[in-house]
Amino acid sequence: MFKNNLKIAWRNLIKNKVISSINILGLALGIASCLIIMLFVVDELSYDQYNEKADDIVNVVFRAKINGEEIKEGAIMAPVGETLIQEFPEVLDATRIKNIGTTKIIIDNQSYRKNRFAFVDANFFNVFTLPVIDGDSKYSLQEPNTAVITKSKAEKFFGEENAIGKVFYLEGQEQPFRVTGVIEEVPQNSHFHFDIFASLEGLDEAKSTSWFGGNFFTYLVLKKGSNYKDLESKLSQLPEKYMGPMMQETMGVSFDDFTKENELGFRIFPLTDIHLYSDNSSHSQLEQGGDIKYVYIFSAIAIFMLLIACINFMNISTATATKRAKEVGIRKVLGSNKSQLRYQFLSESFIASLMAMIFAAILVFISLPFYNRMSGKELQLDFLLQPTVLILLLFLTLLISLLAGGYPAFFLSSFNPIGALKNKYLGGNNNRGVRSGLVIFQFVISAGLILATLTVNQQMQYIQNKDIGYERDQLLVLRDANLLGNNRDTFKNELLKNPKVASITNSASIPAGSTDNYMSQVYIDGEFSRRMPVFNIDENYIPTMGMVLTSGRNFSKEFGADSTNVIINQTAAKVLGFGANALGEIVTDGGGDHTVVGVVKDFHFKSLHQTIDPLFLFYRPFGGLIVKAKSADMSGLIADATILWNGFNTDETFAYTLLDESYRQTHLAEHKMGNLLNLFALLTIFVACLGLFGLVTFTAEQRFKEIGIRKVLGSSVLEIITMLSKDFLKLVFISFFIAFPIGYYLMKNWLESFAYRIEMHLGLFGLAALVTLLIAFATIGWKSFRAATMNPVKALRDE
Amino acid sequence: MLLQLNNIFKWVNSGGQRIFLLKDINLEVHEGEFISIMGPSGSGKSTLLNVIGMLDDFDEGEYDFLHESVHTLKEKHRANLYKEYIGFVFQSYHLLDDLTVKENLEMPLLYKKYKGSERKAMVADMLDRFNIVGKKDLFPAQLSGGQQQLVGVARALISNPKLILADEPTGNLNSQQSEEIMELFKKLNQEGVTIIQVTHSEKNAAYGSRIVSLLDGRKV
Repeated sequence: MFKNNLKIAWRNLIKNKVISSINILGLALGIASCLIIMLFVVDELSYDQYNEKADDIVNVVFRAKINGEEIKEGAIMAPVGETLIQEFPEVLDATRIKNIGTTKIIIDNQSYRKNRFAFVDANFFNVFTLPVIDGDSKYSLQEPNTAVITKSKAEKFFGEENAIGKVFYLEGQEQPFRVTGVIEEVPQNSHFHFDIFASLEGLDEAKSTSWFGGNFFTYLVLKKGSNYKDLESKLSQLPEKYMGPMMQETMGVSFDDFTKENELGFRIFPLTDIHLYSDNSSHSQLEQGGDIKYVYIFSAIAIFMLLIACINFMNISTATATKRAKEVGIRKVLGSNKSQLRYQFLSESFIASLMAMIFAAILVFISLPFYNRMSGKELQLDFLLQPTVLILLLFLTLLISLLAGGYPAFFLSSFNPIGALKNKYLGGNNNRGVRSGLVIFQFVISAGLILATLTVNQQMQYIQNKDIGYERDQLLVLRDANLLGNNRDTFKNELLKNPKVASITNSASIPAGSTDNYMSQVYIDGEFSRRMPVFNIDENYIPTMGMVLTSGRNFSKEFGADSTNVIINQTAAKVLGFGANALGEIVTDGGGDHTVVGVVKDFHFKSLHQTIDPLFLFYRPFGGLIVKAKSADMSGLIADATILWNGFNTDETFAYTLLDESYRQTHLAEHKMGNLLNLFALLTIFVACLGLFGLVTFTAEQRFKEIGIRKVLGSSVLEIITMLSKDFLKLVFISFFIAFPIGYYLMKNWLESFAYRIEMHLGLFGLAALVTLLIAFATIGWKSFRAATMNPVKALRDE
Repeated sequence: MLLQLNNIFKWVNSGGQRIFLLKDINLEVHEGEFISIMGPSGSGKSTLLNVIGMLDDFDEGEYDFLHESVHTLKEKHRANLYKEYIGFVFQSYHLLDDLTVKENLEMPLLYKKYKGSERKAMVADMLDRFNIVGKKDLFPAQLSGGQQQLVGVARALISNPKLILADEPTGNLNSQQSEEIMELFKKLNQEGVTIIQVTHSEKNAAYGSRIVSLLDGRKV
C-alpha cells in the first residue's frame, strides 16, 4: 500500500510540474530561512552557556543618575566582589576582569600586535570553564606577573616549543610576564574574548578599597538555588554603607543629601543574560552584545516564514484537489475508505515536505557562508547534524506535512463518490472562505514586513544623511600616528605639502569609531556639577572637521594661554546654566580652572540612539592625526601617506580608518539588522507571491470555461483581467487594515530606541501599500492576461 | 434471490416542490440474470443503478441485498457490502490516468488487502483472460476507447463480484467496439455473473434476458 501511495504521489508531482515546483520551492525556502534564523537564535541564546557554573554565575554592574547624567558602568569598584562574599552567605566566590584592550607584546625584541589582554583574579579559571591544555590553570595565576595564554597565541609566540615558563613583555613595562598555562580559544559564544589572561596579583589597583570609581568587571558565584533577584534587592544598602563615608570626606556632602537628587545602585545580570540584556554604556562593556529584541523579531519572522510556506502548500493543495475529485470518486467506488484516502493524500504531502526539507538543507548549506558574511556571525552547521536536531527536523517534516496536507486530505476524502464522478466539486468554491482567510494572513505578514523594511531603511537613510554637526566625508584618521614618536610632526608637515591634503589636525578625540575621549568631573564655583566627556584637540580641529562655532573663538597658537581655556558645546552651555552667554565663564575640573572662550555647535560623537552629551574641548594636541582630503579620491591619498610613512623607517605598519566608515560602523548592528530584514522580507514576500501565483493559476484554469463564454459574449481582455485580479487584490487590500496598525505599533517601538529618528507619517504607509499592491498585481497580472487572451473556442469545445 | 427493491422513492426538493427521481420502484433480481434498464434521458435509469449499487441514497422504501436490509445499514457497512459483491463499469471508463493498465487492475485488490503475490497472480490472470497482456504497462491515454472499456470491465471483475453494474458501458464506443463489449458481457453472464446495465440501445438491450423500462422515474 505504502509503495503504491509513493508511486502515485510521485506521478502526481511530475504531472503538475509548475504547481509542484511552486509548492516545494516555496516550502523549501520557508524551511531554509527558518533553519538559518533558528541557527542565529540558538547561537544568540547559547552565549556563556559553555560554563559549567553558567547558572550560578552573575555579573554585578553599577547604575546611577547624577545631575541628570545616566551612568551605566559594567566595570565597577575593586572591593565590591570581596565585600559581597563577606556580607552575603549566598555569594560563594567572586572574580574580576580588568580589560586592557589590544596590546603590543614583545618577545626577544620581536613585537606582536593585537593581543587582547586582560588582568584577572587568581581564581578566574575556577569560575569560568576554559579548558586547559598545558599547565595547571587552576593555580597558575597565584603569583604576580604570571599569565595564561591561548593555544593559538602560544604557537605564534613560541612556535613548537612548550610555552610554559617562557616570558614576554607588555609594551612599556619592565617586569616580564611568565606563561604558566595554555588554554583553548575562548568559545565564540562568550561575552569576552581575550588572548592573554594575566594575574591581578601585585597590582595596586586591584587592592584598592576605594568605592569611588574602578575598572573591574565583577562576577559572583552564587550558592546553587539562590535567586539573584533576592541578592540584587539586598545590594541597595551597599551605597550608603560604603560610599557614604567617602562622599562626606571628599565631596563634603552627606549621603542623604546627595541621594535626594541623585540615584546610586548596583544591579545584577545572570551570566547567560549578559549578551542579550546587558545595557552597559558602550565604553564600559567587554564586547558589543546582542539584543533580545532582535532575537524576538527574527524568531517571529522564522515562524511566519514557515507558516506562510505551509499555508501556500495548503491553499494550493486544496485548490488543486478539486481537480482530483474524479480520482477520489473512482477510488471510493472501487472500495477505498476515507482513512485509506487520507493516508494517500498525507503520504503525498509527506513526500513533498521531505523533498522540500532536503532541498532546504542544501540551501542552508550553500547560503550559510553568505549569511555569515552579511550578519557578522559565525554560525556553524554542526548544530544541525546533532541527532536530536535531526530527529526534530524529521518531526518538523511530519508536522509540516500534517499541517499542509491535513486539511486537503480530510476535505478530499469526504467527497461523495457519485458527486465526485460527476465533477460536482469542480466549482471549488466550497472552501473559498478558508482560502481567502489564509491569503489575507499571508499578506498581513508581507505588508507588515514591507512596512518594517521601509521604516528601517528610511531610518538608516536618515542616520546617513543627518547633519551630525561635522563633515565626515574625506577624513582620513591615522590613530596610530603617535607611534612615529618624535617623527610625527615631521610626518605631518611632509604630508601637508601633498596637494591632495586640505588640512591636518593632531588629536586622538574622534567623534566616531574608537577614540580617546575620557570623562572628567566638572565643578562650578567649587560645587560638583557632573561628569562630562572631554576632547583634546588642537587649533586645526574645528576647521578640519567642519564644525561650527556659535560664539567666541577657536583655539589659536597665538594665544599663549589657550591651554587653560576651554571650548564647550551648546549642550554643555545649557546644562551648566550659562544660557546664551557662556563666554568668560569659569569651569573647574581635575586640571584646574578653565575659561570658556568659545561655544561649538552641537555635533554627534555617539550613536544616534543617544542624545548629545555636554562636551569640553581642551587645547592639548596629542595622539594621532586626522587628515582632510581635497577631493573624494581617498585611495590616492592613502597610497601617498603609506609611502611617506614607510619612509620613516619604522617597524610599525601604516594603519588608517575613514571617519565616514567609522560613523557607519557606529550603527553597524542596525545596518546588519536592516540587511537581514531586507533579505527575509524579500524571501517572505517571494514565498507569499509564489502562493498567490499558484492560486491565480488554478483560478484561471477553473474559470477557463467561464472566461470562454464571457469572451464569446463580447467581454474585453481588460474586463477579464479585472475580473480575475479583483478578488485577490481585494484580499490584499483588507490585509492592510490588519498589518498597518500592528506594524505601526512595533516599528514605533523600535524607532523610540533612537534619540534622533524619523516620524512614521502617512506617506510611509501609502508607499508600503503601493509596493504590496504592485507586487501582488505583478504576480496575478501575467496569469490573468494569459487567461484573458486565450482563444475562447478552446474553452467551449465540448469534452 | 440476489436483491429486492420494494416501493423505492427518491426525490429532491426544488423551490418548495418535490421532484421525484424514482417513484414506487419494485424490482427483484435473481442470480444469473442479465437485465437492461431502458428509458429516455432523465427517466431515472442511472439513479436507479446508483441506488442498486448503494452509491446513492433513497428516501423511502426497502432494499434487500443478499438478505441484508440495505436501508437500515450504516454507511460503512453498506460500503463493505458493495465492495465485496458489486463491480462497476462506467460510460467514460473512469480509469485513473496516472496508473498503468496493470496498476489500474490492481487497485481494487489493494483496498481489499490482498497480499502482493496474490495480487500479482490475480492481475496476471485477468490480463490473460482479456487478452491485454501486451498492454499491461501502457497508460489509459495510450489505449483506444474500446480497450479502455475492456480494462474497465476487467477491473470490475477482478475481485469476483456477484453483480456487475454497467452505466451505458458502450456509450462512448463505436459499433464494433460496442459489439465486442456486449459479447463479453454475454459470455460473463453465461459464466454465472449477474449483470444490470443501463442502455439507450435496443440492440444492446437484446443481449440481456429482461428489460426494465423507466419513464419519469416510474417503471412502465
